[in-house]
Amino acid sequence: MSVLLAASAIVLSGAGLVAALAPPSCGGALRVAMAAALGLGTWSATYAAALLLFGPQGLAAKDLLLAIAGAALLIASRRRDVGMPPEADAVPHWLWALLALSCAVATILFVEHTLRFPDGGWDAWMVWNLRARFLARAGAGFRAAFSPDLLYLAHQDYPFLLPGLVAQGFLLRGAEAAWIPVSLAWLYGALAVALLVSSLGWLRGGSWGVLGGLSLAAMPCFPTFASNQQSDVPLAVYLLISMALIAGPRSRPALLLAGFSAGLGMWTKNEGALFAACLAAALAWRDRDLRAVGWFALGALPLATLLVGFKLGVAPPTDLAALSTPQGVLAHALSLRRWAELLLLTLRRIVYFQDFGLWSMAEVLLLLFWVRKQPATVPGTALFLACLAFGPIYVLQPHRLDWIYRTSADRIFIQLWPSAVLATLLHLARATDRARTTART
Amino acid sequence: MSIGRITAAIAILAAVGLGRGVYFHLISEPRHDVLHEPIDSRYAALRALLPPAGEVGYVSDLPVAVRLDQDAGSLGTRLYLHAQYALAPLVLRYDDARAPLVIANLADPGKLPQIARERGLSVVAEAGPGLAVLRPKALR
Repeated sequence: MSVLLAASAIVLSGAGLVAALAPPSCGGALRVAMAAALGLGTWSATYAAALLLFGPQGLAAKDLLLAIAGAALLIASRRRDVGMPPEADAVPHWLWALLALSCAVATILFVEHTLRFPDGGWDAWMVWNLRARFLARAGAGFRAAFSPDLLYLAHQDYPFLLPGLVAQGFLLRGAEAAWIPVSLAWLYGALAVALLVSSLGWLRGGSWGVLGGLSLAAMPCFPTFASNQQSDVPLAVYLLISMALIAGPRSRPALLLAGFSAGLGMWTKNEGALFAACLAAALAWRDRDLRAVGWFALGALPLATLLVGFKLGVAPPTDLAALSTPQGVLAHALSLRRWAELLLLTLRRIVYFQDFGLWSMAEVLLLLFWVRKQPATVPGTALFLACLAFGPIYVLQPHRLDWIYRTSADRIFIQLWPSAVLATLLHLARATDRARTTART
Repeated sequence: MSIGRITAAIAILAAVGLGRGVYFHLISEPRHDVLHEPIDSRYAALRALLPPAGEVGYVSDLPVAVRLDQDAGSLGTRLYLHAQYALAPLVLRYDDARAPLVIANLADPGKLPQIARERGLSVVAEAGPGLAVLRPKALR
């Protein structure tokens, strides 16, 4: 593999996908951010497909093919009409300054946390970077990464978009440089903020974009999760792209791209499959347009195929299934104590100031007293369905509820938070538009 | 509802959030937590004594969580997971003292002779405090 070829594969595949499928009215910043995230994801997913199908010897050709395919998409799309971007509104300078300050502080905190925990968070060395090391070190014996002899805590069944990126970085560098997973972690964090700012700016104007960026960059736990070198922030990025495209002007190409991004989320973490299903269900429920669901599903199909192939052909069963018994599931389902415990844990988490500051409380109050009275939207419904689905997942799973909740709830929160900010600010922007229109008339 | 009020509310939430983050990372955490060593530094010498791939047995003086009712956050589990991370792509077979090569990863280095005796192992080489390569006595 060569660095230049790999860089070409990432840049051209991402730019090609965005040029061919993103709505023409998307602004430049949004296009660049989407292209970066989708290019990285595509590079990793094709690495996994080539590795699983042909072994390590198939990897050099895949970068060349990916670069050619991306270039072909770019050439084929060069005559697409570029629509007018929405009228730019004047964003107060102090608001931009506050966002810049938040991003700078978040980066300082990211650096501090990385210095304190050089191997990342617990799941980074237990799951994600462990997998990357297996893939980079084992050569033809890469299937050892999924050995059932590993402890179940290594979660051999997890898809490996992030480990695929880190492993390819190690192979390109010819050494396991610590800066590779750290840089990827920072990049995905920066992309999450950039995508929120640019997608809200595209959909509702620059001020809403800056407010969205602030809502993420100034979330206390965000720099920690970004620096943990885990898959939660990358998953948040792919879900956010999908949500933004669905919230924008609807077209077949945009739905395909939304589905593709949701598919990359599926290949990032198991929760990604749930989020993709919730998006499809929300599209069907709110828009009553099965063709839209079909285009979305078609976009996700390549990644869904990869995931199913991996799960059926390579990965051992997920611990949630492998360690469950029908009697245990039934007993958990009928346990009122377990449901009550989940409710209590959730209520306590909402007021968990250490991680969420006042953001989660503000969001819940807004949802309860204002958003629920607004017309339903596809992104909002998808998020509602996802949160609803986690109820039975938590209650029925085989582990001790307080332990699994404590170790996973905040990560799920950060996966969903950027999309929740997008959905909420879209509601608020619409309401202020209505108020302004009413005031004028 | 006006955008001015929403902006003010979000700016306040952001200020609180940033303040909390700065307090935790730059004031509280340095007081209460150390800068952690890279995991690899403990296992570098051991890695040099082992084959680059395949499977080896793993024994310890602390239990590792292999079932749901065991503490996944225990020190024994962390020692195993750290070793697996450092030694990949070797697969560490927990509690397998019959493998041709076995590694001992101990919280208490003084327990090495006892562990070796109890498991019928002989020490091939030590690779730092609490770390050793062993093999079953029957294979000598």
